[in-house]
Amino acid sequence: MYVLTEYIVRGIQAGSIYGLLALPMSLLFATAGTIDFAVGAYALLAAAVATIIAGPLGIAVAIAAAVTAAAGMGVIFLVLTRIGTKDHIVFALASFGLAVAIASFILWQFGTQAFVRASFSQFWSLGGIRISPQGVINLGLGALVTLLLYLLLYWTDLGRMMRAAAANPSGAELAGIPVARIQFGTYLAGGLLGGLAGIMILYSAGLDFTASLSLTLGGFGAAIIFGITSPLRCLLGGIAMGVAEALAAGYTSGMVTAMVPFLFVLIVLSASNLGGAMAGDRP
Amino acid sequence: MRRLVSLVLSAAAAAVVSSGAALSADAVKIGVVLSLSGPAAVFGIPERDAIQVVMEKLKADGKLKRPIELVIYDDKTNPTEATRMVTQAISNDKVVAIIGPGTGGNILAAGPLALRMQVPLLGPAGTMAITDRKNEFYPWVFRVAPSDRVDVKVILEDMAKSKAKKIGVFFQEDAYGKTGVDFAKEIGATLGMEVVETVSAPYAATDLTAQATRLRNAGVEAVFLQVSISSLGASFVKAANQVGLTAPAYANAGLAQRSFAESVGSEVDGLRVLSIGNLPYDPSEGEAELARLLKQAGKVPQGWGELVGSNGLMTVVAAVNAQGDKEITGVTMRDTIEGLCGYPAYARGKPCFSKDSHDGWAEDSLVITELRNKELKTRR
Repeated sequence: MYVLTEYIVRGIQAGSIYGLLALPMSLLFATAGTIDFAVGAYALLAAAVATIIAGPLGIAVAIAAAVTAAAGMGVIFLVLTRIGTKDHIVFALASFGLAVAIASFILWQFGTQAFVRASFSQFWSLGGIRISPQGVINLGLGALVTLLLYLLLYWTDLGRMMRAAAANPSGAELAGIPVARIQFGTYLAGGLLGGLAGIMILYSAGLDFTASLSLTLGGFGAAIIFGITSPLRCLLGGIAMGVAEALAAGYTSGMVTAMVPFLFVLIVLSASNLGGAMAGDRP
Repeated sequence: MRRLVSLVLSAAAAAVVSSGAALSADAVKIGVVLSLSGPAAVFGIPERDAIQVVMEKLKADGKLKRPIELVIYDDKTNPTEATRMVTQAISNDKVVAIIGPGTGGNILAAGPLALRMQVPLLGPAGTMAITDRKNEFYPWVFRVAPSDRVDVKVILEDMAKSKAKKIGVFFQEDAYGKTGVDFAKEIGATLGMEVVETVSAPYAATDLTAQATRLRNAGVEAVFLQVSISSLGASFVKAANQVGLTAPAYANAGLAQRSFAESVGSEVDGLRVLSIGNLPYDPSEGEAELARLLKQAGKVPQGWGELVGSNGLMTVVAAVNAQGDKEITGVTMRDTIEGLCGYPAYARGKPCFSKDSHDGWAEDSLVITELRNKELKTRR
């Protein structure tokens, strides 16, 4: 029982990163009805920059870099809407292309090195289970950001405008809501959150230039299992995936371990109608 | 007047072209198909860099009996691309030997081509299967590095010295990882050690604490890391530290890279890493010479990729030089390489090929290093 508990604790710590990657997905889906597949690439970019530049300055520059990359995606988005693109899948595919471009840029500029930094060498003990302070910070940050996003979406005017922009873009325009600007801003928020996730990973397990797609897919899985439209569900989805991964690593072996998180997502989506939230009310 | 001028010009041009053609008729063309992008680029780029600087040095010192021309291709760590590049090198560039492709999987994919088109491949990879005698293309593939089995053997022999009986293995989820586990089980048994637990992770795993926990709970006395991805190795060692897995850890040669040593903190000190020589931190005489050449060309030695790349080139050069003025084809290259034993190379150990053994390098080229202060010091 103790062993099981330890795996679950580890999974919760790790899952907060998936949650943080899932939040921009939920935000963008709520506002623009599309997915930004470059979120993993923003995380990778931030981690790479913070590896090169040390300390708090490095973190600040890293997040700025991630937001800049996201701004690039935002501009692509605006250009595509300006020329009349209606199909949301096009934006998603464009973000995929940007993700590949960013990953290639990282390989070119930074090479194949690992992006990882030492964090804490002291560990806390929770009932005999060694917890790293970094893991606690990750979880805390994930919860904090979720709370802030929830407050933003449901308690502020901006949030209401964002939800209106997703539900009925033309109606929202007519009501005087600057839809395009809000959607652009949401892409920037995605860059910020992705960058933050990248920093967290940098100080935890570390990553390298191949990570961007896996991170995006992990975030996407976390976002859709419990419903993409709510920040809290995204965080919980991330934690659930983290726990599934930890239990799989602890109790299964070999190739099964890698399959489990995605099998988990498949099962949850097939078994419940929570997955129906993904379809939204797009015609 | 104009007609005279154009006649003279075309005659001159013909003379230049034909003399140029006469010169390059002598040049032996060698293909270099390495992973210059994709996950294996961390090895492929140093391999190519070393081949280029050594080539320049050999030309400058007049060590080549005939001119050798290198044609370089990128296999993108992709078997389809590797076969395409090998085909192109042989069909378009008419190479008589290929250094590469870059990974075991790519070499296996290109093997049948080498057989069909009769051009030998000199593979810088440890994957056992490439020189398996059961392969139909066995006569056409040579290995210019120690094999994975030899690597694992040297690691386990060092583990056995510290009287460990129960071993745990952490491996990356691919063929390299899986075959490492199989060797560890097999070789461990002959040395009186048992593999009691194995755990694995995909390349881009974000958290390895669960895997480290599992090994710790199994009470292992030594840990073997069959990992070639720097970030995976660093993640695991960090995770092991975090969950209190204190057994001594040994990493296979994939982590003997500068990029790994410099990216980890002091909590990773004491990790033992197998290395092919120790080019960046503790070079032998030959390795130091190669390091000098690299630094002159503005390259920083990264690990053993440069040594293995140079092994491929030195083998080719030895084979070409041995054939004197005779016509060189893929067949003659293959036959000559099979007869080479003990020729100049920068790596330690004595390279030796034969008809029965296409593995040129063995234990004498390997060292166990220990990670201390971001450097890999050779353990005596």
